Amino acid sequence: MSTAAVLAGYAVVAGALVPSLLSRAKWAHRAPVLAVLAWQGLMVTFVVATVLAVYHLLLSEEHAHDGLVGLISACGLIVGAPGTGTASDTVLALTAPAAVAVLPLGWLVRCAWQARRARQRHLDLLVLVGEPAPEYDATVVDHTAPAVYCLPGRRCRVVITQGALDVLSEEQLRAVLEHERAHIDGRHHVLHLLAEAFSRAFPGLPLGRHAKEQTALLVEMIADDHALRSHRREVLASAMYEVAAGRVPPVALGAGGTGALIRLRRVLTPQPRPHRATRLGVVAATVAAPLLPLLVACGH
Amino acid sequence: MRQLGELEAEIMHRLWAWGRPASARDVLTDINKQRPLAYSTVKTVADILHNKGMLKRHKEGRAWVYEPTCTRQQYTAALMRQALGGNPDPAGTLVSFLEQMTPEETDALRSALRVVKRRSEA
Repeated sequence: MSTAAVLAGYAVVAGALVPSLLSRAKWAHRAPVLAVLAWQGLMVTFVVATVLAVYHLLLSEEHAHDGLVGLISACGLIVGAPGTGTASDTVLALTAPAAVAVLPLGWLVRCAWQARRARQRHLDLLVLVGEPAPEYDATVVDHTAPAVYCLPGRRCRVVITQGALDVLSEEQLRAVLEHERAHIDGRHHVLHLLAEAFSRAFPGLPLGRHAKEQTALLVEMIADDHALRSHRREVLASAMYEVAAGRVPPVALGAGGTGALIRLRRVLTPQPRPHRATRLGVVAATVAAPLLPLLVACGH
Repeated sequence: MRQLGELEAEIMHRLWAWGRPASARDVLTDINKQRPLAYSTVKTVADILHNKGMLKRHKEGRAWVYEPTCTRQQYTAALMRQALGGNPDPAGTLVSFLEQMTPEETDALRSALRVVKRRSEA
């Protein structure tokens, strides 16, 4: 019972405590790649800890401590190992944790499918009304509101509106296109998908909400950094402003617009990367966090 | 082999540009100025567009003439609603350079930018 309690406690820490700390961590915006990695690691940690906690809760302690065989079965290495429990206990002890593991995977498949269909719909319309612009390796849409976005996936496209072409200088446009290319090359939509699937699988869990919000912001920062490698800070920052200013907001407005302001300040005032020790520490913690519950589960 | 969607777009573009009903033969004649294409292909794709509700048609003499049900602007508006609109698409559908912002947030962006410009000029 105590192993299950330890594992459950660990899951609570990963699912509720660490997310609010990580989303406020100062280093995260200075090392967005690392921060994205940390969020992904935290989600894996939560799933691993929860799966093992459920497993241990259902598997009686005697069963788990039934000598070497019990120990191995507690680690999930032998399915249906001979023990004191009945066969139905064992089945339950295996299906319930498996369900916890399959839940986020199921949502991932569903979200990926929905996104793919929505992209296909969008692409169909785009082929109809867009004009290819080979000089930018993009598709231009005749619309007054300035907007630039990318459709990721196998048939990836970068889309620019005529409004964006009108308000952006050539240099600004190149910087924005570089930003979008970074999204496509970095497969950032997969990170979006993973966080979305996790938050749908565990609704109400702080980790889900934070991971989704932070991943969305962090991948933008990664793309900004990519654009800044070949473009000046002022160019990218002013491009952000021009795109924002040219849009008329719709009546019902979604939340979360402040991300752009955080990004703009970050683009304009360069911050040093976190100290090497901090970076190593984050990587080590990200790798160790999902493994620790396995040690706890097998060590008892 | 061209994608079906591209041929659909070619037909739609011509009908939008002409702004009048036209037969599959008219469209074919125009496409044939650039490249060879069979009449049956154009006719088939025009009928697909009709079945999708994108073209309406009526008989003029013995031939069907087609015209778009919606303007190009209406399709563009639908596309942009998907890209920028209020109801969010499933995650991972598209990644926008900038999310929609309130006027206050845009003002905040402008003042942040102004501060930096002043600093770099000083």
